[in-house]
Amino acid sequence: MVSKIVYLARVSSTIDSFTQRLGKIASWFVSLLVLLVGLIVVLRYGFSFGSIALQESIIYVNAVIFIFGASYTLKTGGHVRVDVFYSRIGEKGKAFVNALGALLFLMPAMVLIIFTSEGYVAMSWQILERSPESSGLPFVYLLKTLILVMAVLLALQGVSELLKSWRVLTALRSVQQNADTGK
Amino acid sequence: MRETDVAISGTNMFVELLPLLFFLTICASLMLGYPVAFTLMGISFLCSGIGVAFGTFDSAYLSLIPNRLYGVLTNQNLIAIPLFIFMGTMLEKSNIAEALLKNMSLVFRGLPGGLGISIVVVGTLLAASTGIVGATVVTMGILSLPTMLREGYKPSLAAGTICATGTLGQIIPPSICLVLLGEVMSNAYQQSQLNAGEFNGGFVSIGDLFAGALIPGLILVFIYALYLFCVGLLKPEFAPSIEVDEAHALKSTFFALIKGLFPPLFLMIVVLGSIVLGIATPTEAASVGAMGAVLLALLKQELTFEVLKNVNLETLRITSMVYLILIGAAIFSSVFRGFGGDIYIEELLVNLPGGVNSAMLVVMLLIFLLGFILDFIEITFMVIPVVGPVILSMGVDPIWFGVMIAINLQTSFLTPPFGFSLFYLRSVAPPELATIDIFKGVIPFVIFQLFLLATLALFPEIVTWLPRVLS
Repeated sequence: MVSKIVYLARVSSTIDSFTQRLGKIASWFVSLLVLLVGLIVVLRYGFSFGSIALQESIIYVNAVIFIFGASYTLKTGGHVRVDVFYSRIGEKGKAFVNALGALLFLMPAMVLIIFTSEGYVAMSWQILERSPESSGLPFVYLLKTLILVMAVLLALQGVSELLKSWRVLTALRSVQQNADTGK
Repeated sequence: MRETDVAISGTNMFVELLPLLFFLTICASLMLGYPVAFTLMGISFLCSGIGVAFGTFDSAYLSLIPNRLYGVLTNQNLIAIPLFIFMGTMLEKSNIAEALLKNMSLVFRGLPGGLGISIVVVGTLLAASTGIVGATVVTMGILSLPTMLREGYKPSLAAGTICATGTLGQIIPPSICLVLLGEVMSNAYQQSQLNAGEFNGGFVSIGDLFAGALIPGLILVFIYALYLFCVGLLKPEFAPSIEVDEAHALKSTFFALIKGLFPPLFLMIVVLGSIVLGIATPTEAASVGAMGAVLLALLKQELTFEVLKNVNLETLRITSMVYLILIGAAIFSSVFRGFGGDIYIEELLVNLPGGVNSAMLVVMLLIFLLGFILDFIEITFMVIPVVGPVILSMGVDPIWFGVMIAINLQTSFLTPPFGFSLFYLRSVAPPELATIDIFKGVIPFVIFQLFLLATLALFPEIVTWLPRVLS
């Protein structure tokens, strides 16, 4: 029994550190975005030069930020809540809400996003869809794939959140501490 | 799509009430406290599933979702969001905002209510740069509440000033809220013309909304400052002036102005000016703001690797939060439409006795109440796409409508006992400051807000004049 709990704790801390690493890498795309849009502005107003490919590239960079950042934000508690009650219900109450939310809202929603978007993305891959602009970027299928990537990453982090909430609910704090040292 | 819609063809009362039921389920579920974005997605899918099972929901609406999500992903205007957030976070984390507050309080030191006025002015600048109510109230609360209390300000007055100033982020351009509202409003406007079957060539841009919000926003700032001045003059014990040595004050004031005040002010004017005058797109202007903030931090020698790393991470978190809500709201509105919600709302609003005015009043009241549980972004993307086209096709000016919504929500965020900004301040206020003091303190400001709303309702030109002159 205990070994199973330790195993599950290890699963959630593995997911957590994966999410953490991904978020930190993606966060540098913020600086990249500032530079790219800055470059576009300088080229356009300084040299009257505009490039559709460059213009489109900022969409990709921007998408990477929140597609890979969403699960990091979930892990670090950055998604806004209506906390009229939530702020007053104590550790166990919060864990209950988070477990319920992960099970009923987050994970089913992600599964359904994958389910409804799968065909849409597959179609784009079949024709290796490119930008409607002739000088645009030929990677629209990758951009569309990001929808699935986001859903998968969020569902994965949802599993970890569920496991963590469950651990709080069953109050096996010693195991939790053992697992967390591996962070 | 509409002909197959079950909600209109069915005569069943229950089926007709489904959109309302769906909306109430969402509101109730949100009270649980699970992140808004995922609650929106989860409940929407759950309800659509039940609807499909009972034959009251056309699953074709679900197949529209990937395209909606892709639309969110590729929207060029929304790229202004991470850039504005980057700019605000950079100003905050490199201590430029803090220096601004300190220097500004030197400038207004001699004036009755001077400290309060300087907090209003700095809050306005901060609000304009971050545009996120929570962030502004918390920053202002941490930076200026202790100072105000130390200088002998009445606790309720200090709390009220900070809460009210923090919410200015809604309406002082260039705010993220107005960027989002501009985006949604222009879609709603096009939709309303499409419904009417005629294009009058009308178009709303984010710049128009900025221009429209500018004068009402400044009026509000002026009223706040005037109030603090009057309190300082009539009841100096509530807002004591700081005694200073005259010569020293003049000298430090001069340097303070040059060093602390001018650069961030200049930055905001450049950003705002280029958008409002239509020279640059909001995204381009936002990048100028972001690079300018980096430059200021460099000049102040505050730009370390650690600061940049933190700014990147914080920007990533807020951006993800905003985008996930957009995605949640996109799924919500697809499902709401699938239940016939848009038709339900249209019939409700069009058939109200009293025409446009009462429809407008109902919508404003709804938004005000929703403001108690939802933040600006959620409301903008959940409510405006549904009610916007209806209200606009009744002949309401889109810029005026947008500005009214922004000020209305700002009022909602200030109103006890549920206003968001009160909670944000509570979370950083010292325990000696009673919650009731915060409530009491904001009441005069809520009255000013309502006064402004009434004034704008009677004289819409205050909003529409500047955009017209500029275009």
